[in-house]
Amino acid sequence: MPGAAPQSVPASDQSPPLVTSPLPRVHRGWRVFIFYSSALLLTGLVSMLFADLLWRTGWSASRTILFVVFVILFLLIAVGCMHGVFGFVLRAFGDPRRITQTDYRNQSMAGTSTAIVFPIYNENIVRVYEGLRATYESLEKTGQLEHFDFFILSDSTDPDKWVEEERCWYELIRELDALGRIYYRRRTDNEGRKSGNVRDFLNTWGRRYRYFLVCDADSVMRGGTLVDLVKLMEAHPTVGLIQTVPALVNAESLFGRIQQFSNRLYAPLFIAGLNYWALNLGNYWGHNAIIRTEPFMQFCDLPQLPGHKPFGGQILSHDFVEAALLSRANWEVWLAYDLEGSYEEVPQGMIENAQRERRWCQGNLQHGLVLFAKGLRGVNRLHLLLGICGYLAGPLWLVFLLTFNWIHWYQKYTGLSNITVHAFTPYLNLSGIAHAFLVFVICMAVLFLPKVLALIDLAFDWERRRAFGGLARATVGVVGETVFSTLHAPLLMLWHTRFVVTNLFGVSVGWSQQKRGSDGTTWWFAIRRHWGHTVIGLVWGAFMWQLNQYLFWWFTPVFSGMVLSIPLSVWTSRRSLGARARKLGLFLTPEETKPPVELVSLRSQMKIHEITDDTTPRRPHAGLAEAVLDPYVNAIHVSLLREKRLNPVYAEQLNKLGVGRETVRVLGERLLAEGPAQLAPADRTLIMTDAHAMVWLHQQTWLRPGESLAPWWRTAIQEYSHRD
Amino acid sequence: MESAITGPGALTGVAGRLAGRPLEEWNAAYAKVENYFHALRIRNKALLGQLVLRVLERAMKRAPAEPDHSATHLAAEEMDRTVTEWFAEVLQEPPTNADQMLSTRGRLALLLADMPGKWQDQFLRPPPWPEEFVSAMRETYLRAGPDFQLSKMSARPFDLGPITTLTNLGRVPYLKMSLAWTLFVLFLIAIFYFTH
Repeated sequence: MPGAAPQSVPASDQSPPLVTSPLPRVHRGWRVFIFYSSALLLTGLVSMLFADLLWRTGWSASRTILFVVFVILFLLIAVGCMHGVFGFVLRAFGDPRRITQTDYRNQSMAGTSTAIVFPIYNENIVRVYEGLRATYESLEKTGQLEHFDFFILSDSTDPDKWVEEERCWYELIRELDALGRIYYRRRTDNEGRKSGNVRDFLNTWGRRYRYFLVCDADSVMRGGTLVDLVKLMEAHPTVGLIQTVPALVNAESLFGRIQQFSNRLYAPLFIAGLNYWALNLGNYWGHNAIIRTEPFMQFCDLPQLPGHKPFGGQILSHDFVEAALLSRANWEVWLAYDLEGSYEEVPQGMIENAQRERRWCQGNLQHGLVLFAKGLRGVNRLHLLLGICGYLAGPLWLVFLLTFNWIHWYQKYTGLSNITVHAFTPYLNLSGIAHAFLVFVICMAVLFLPKVLALIDLAFDWERRRAFGGLARATVGVVGETVFSTLHAPLLMLWHTRFVVTNLFGVSVGWSQQKRGSDGTTWWFAIRRHWGHTVIGLVWGAFMWQLNQYLFWWFTPVFSGMVLSIPLSVWTSRRSLGARARKLGLFLTPEETKPPVELVSLRSQMKIHEITDDTTPRRPHAGLAEAVLDPYVNAIHVSLLREKRLNPVYAEQLNKLGVGRETVRVLGERLLAEGPAQLAPADRTLIMTDAHAMVWLHQQTWLRPGESLAPWWRTAIQEYSHRD
Repeated sequence: MESAITGPGALTGVAGRLAGRPLEEWNAAYAKVENYFHALRIRNKALLGQLVLRVLERAMKRAPAEPDHSATHLAAEEMDRTVTEWFAEVLQEPPTNADQMLSTRGRLALLLADMPGKWQDQFLRPPPWPEEFVSAMRETYLRAGPDFQLSKMSARPFDLGPITTLTNLGRVPYLKMSLAWTLFVLFLIAIFYFTH
């Protein structure tokens, strides 16, 4: 950051070390100019060609709309393309402007302390803990474990999940002998969701740690990578955050494998391109990133946005904003895009993917309010803007297609003939159709150029080429991925349009949790989610057929995705198809051909769980029964509750909830006499939050004669007494 | 130790009764105590039977003096008392009637010392206990986190710029209605424009 020193944080014993490596000098202004000028130049030239095409058939109001939308959409794909082109060039000729370029490996870890935090919310706890185990064991092998602590930060609201988290946590620390190294904490309220969860951790323990590293529920990190990140931070005391680029892994369905293949093949180019112009004003994606605690605590507490939901209130996609706030205080934010050993997972089906997109859409649109905030760096505004445009592109594309259809329908309806005049490009001597085709070809070239460049990049890297199963297989994979994304894109367009429109009108799109079959999305669920897409595809296709049979064929990719959405969604979610593609050597990724130890460990542990875990559906309130009846689970639960009391903030929250009052004992009596189903969920949670009530319930359930207990308890006691 | 079952006065002499209670009642009491010890993962059947009998003996001693209480009730109370007293002895903490936390701490200590895996034979046994067992019981604590180092993050001033003005517009009376009318007029204009 030329000429600017990071805003200071209060002196503490966590002061940075004296031995540091200088970061490369940056000339970001030129880079931003060159990068975006390239995109703009390309957009300008193609837009001229397109404007001329529209002019040839007679300009009109609808053509103005079509043109404006075209320019915006083309600019977006041109920016994407430039990321690929710049990334390709940088990878081919080397990029000296990256944080890992500096000499950091000899940096001492002495005196450092890093917390690795896993914020969770009603997650599949087995998967979360196995990911943590793989990370922990990998870190242990580096011999640097003593510099790290792990925190499971639960925000779970489901009592069954809560109790399961506590029990599994104990089993994990016992198996890893990690008592005093892996901690578990559950909040009593969910204020601020994930960012509030992390903030609560920072307010409670943050100042004990020089750095903290945020993981997602599905994150896995290589121990060596964690050590590298700490050393990088130690070497560069002006750096506030380093984001790794997580590789998508462990996908088994066809959809998941296609996504992880494209991520592994294309992302290195795109992120190298992103780093070209962002440099030390990089971005934060919410996980798999190391953060310097003090500046984060000083500058990154998120403000509440004015107005009502969905835009006002709490900032949902907090990561971009936190990076912007760090940069505002002159702390550097880097993308360590060439640091391997950072992993995350991907949704296994199109519907799950859309559910995630829906959350992100709301968060990204909310950034519209932050975009013009005073003091933010221009580059951070670009990150925010690109995030917003990622979701606005869907509705804009729909507007483009509809306007295009309208123009043709209007022409047919009014009986006007399609007389073309000469183009302003007479030297090309193009007919109207050839002119339109040229624009189309350029658009396709801009869209597909990064894919071709990624293949060329692969061709020249022997080791990587082998990791993708060879160039021929990777090429077939790219073709397959392109066909799939062509069919998937119209669906994303419809989904994004729905999400954007409903968000703008403040309507929450309620989606029930997916009921997955043993091999992916069920047909019935797919029909419920996609019937609208199918109908739109059929109606639109019929309309186009009536309108112009020649045009119909050009629109086939758009209709096909919609009409085939149900089988596409079901089939691509199938693990069996994913396995078959893998057998054929399609969509292979480096983590599949040569799996790293951490992922092998994770997969084998998950396999063991799959074989040995009891898959019988648990009866309602099983978590409550376990926390009350099991002498050990009850003891763990109660001791964790008691420890909460030592924190005045938590103690106050517990008091506010009514913990310790006589009413809880009355509720406890009702619970014993009538069973849990007769109590409101909030009352059950209140009882489970009261340590004394839980001890009392444990004693009473085992002491009282069966006749004085509700039948539900008698059954539960029978189950617990005969459990092996 | 003299057994209440076999000792003088244990059997009343009435057929089908034990310590003045029907045999079925003691059967139920046995099951109750056995269930709890089973929940504590005492898996060795010989040991389990022995521990249950020890509790029942105490209950039988009380039975003649407390005719209003069922055998199950007495056995459950004795089970609780036996276990709590033993925890107090091992952990060197005096039992209190007001607070059941000793029982919680004891169960936690059993878990952390891996009683079900390594020390089943020591459970409810009178002293002396192996040193390793005693230290495992007394010295292990379950902690949710390291010592607190409390602080408070607070948001810095954040000026949203023109957005603040826009959000303030939301307070203008009848704004939504005016916007709806404006949109309607624009819609009419658009229809006219596109059809002419």
